[in-house]
Amino acid sequence: MKKSCEHEEFAIRALHTGQWSDALRLHAAQCPDCTQALQLAETLRQQARHADRLCTPPDPYWILQRSRRQARELTLRRVSRLLFAMRALAAVYAVAVSAWLLRGYAALQYRELASTLPGASSGYALIGAALAAACALAGLWPILHQSSRR
Amino acid sequence: MEDAPTIAAWVNPGQERTAAGDEAFRQLYQATSRPLWGYLHHATGRPHVADDLLQETWCKFLLHPIPPMDKAHTRSYLFRIATNLLHNRSRSRDDAALEYPPEHADPPGNGAQNDQAARLDVQSAMRQLKPRERQLLWLAYVEGMSHAEIAAVTGLGAMSIRILLYRARQKASAILRPQRTEP
Repeated sequence: MKKSCEHEEFAIRALHTGQWSDALRLHAAQCPDCTQALQLAETLRQQARHADRLCTPPDPYWILQRSRRQARELTLRRVSRLLFAMRALAAVYAVAVSAWLLRGYAALQYRELASTLPGASSGYALIGAALAAACALAGLWPILHQSSRR
Repeated sequence: MEDAPTIAAWVNPGQERTAAGDEAFRQLYQATSRPLWGYLHHATGRPHVADDLLQETWCKFLLHPIPPMDKAHTRSYLFRIATNLLHNRSRSRDDAALEYPPEHADPPGNGAQNDQAARLDVQSAMRQLKPRERQLLWLAYVEGMSHAEIAAVTGLGAMSIRILLYRARQKASAILRPQRTEP
């Protein structure tokens, strides 16, 4: 496997710093690897000088403002993730409690309960419970829908 | 000269941002932005992509806590962020945006004709190299980084840099017109 000259790295460094030792200068002039590397380095450095003229970096404080905005967005995303998890937990809790209540309600002795209530009150109680459940679900739906869209 | 520990303290979240930190950042930015942009421009061949990636590099640098480091390490750290962003971009689905663009001449009157021909040659050569080869050549020959520094920036093994650089140089030199440079 071919490898480059071990002095190449030092020759390139010398090209950058301008500090050539006599031995290194002599070596670079005789070594085909180092000569090739120096030629390519000079070509690329010319390219770099041209690129430098095209570069107009933005104001540092604009970068700073942008990074602060990104930091705020990052924090917001983290908090939103936490809120989403809490909403999901709330939904699971609501479903579990509803199921538990329905099971408990089904086990009630309706006749005994109805006998304690005057007239049509038992009917009104059932309608009230159904309305409350519908309202809870209607309130939960937009929250969950909004979270899933995010 | 910027005070690297001042920048580290200034960049880290929760630290109070001081006037000294502001000044240190401004100096670091002015000293490093142009070389970073040149690297990104050379790697992508597109000025507007280099602009975007330069801004993204600085934002990433400012967003995350950094350990106190000296000037050279801060510079290497910024190049590493830029290199990671280049890799992320190459892994993204938008591959067409990463393709090295065809060489194009400057508007008339901008530089001598010979210079422009040489630049077109270099652009043509770079187009034929792999992104990793372009990065290695730039870091070694334009930025003058040592093999260890290049390894730190690119995430490659320090031992493999020498051979990879050798191959990239051979390939680029074979494509480019020979130009004589005296040391």
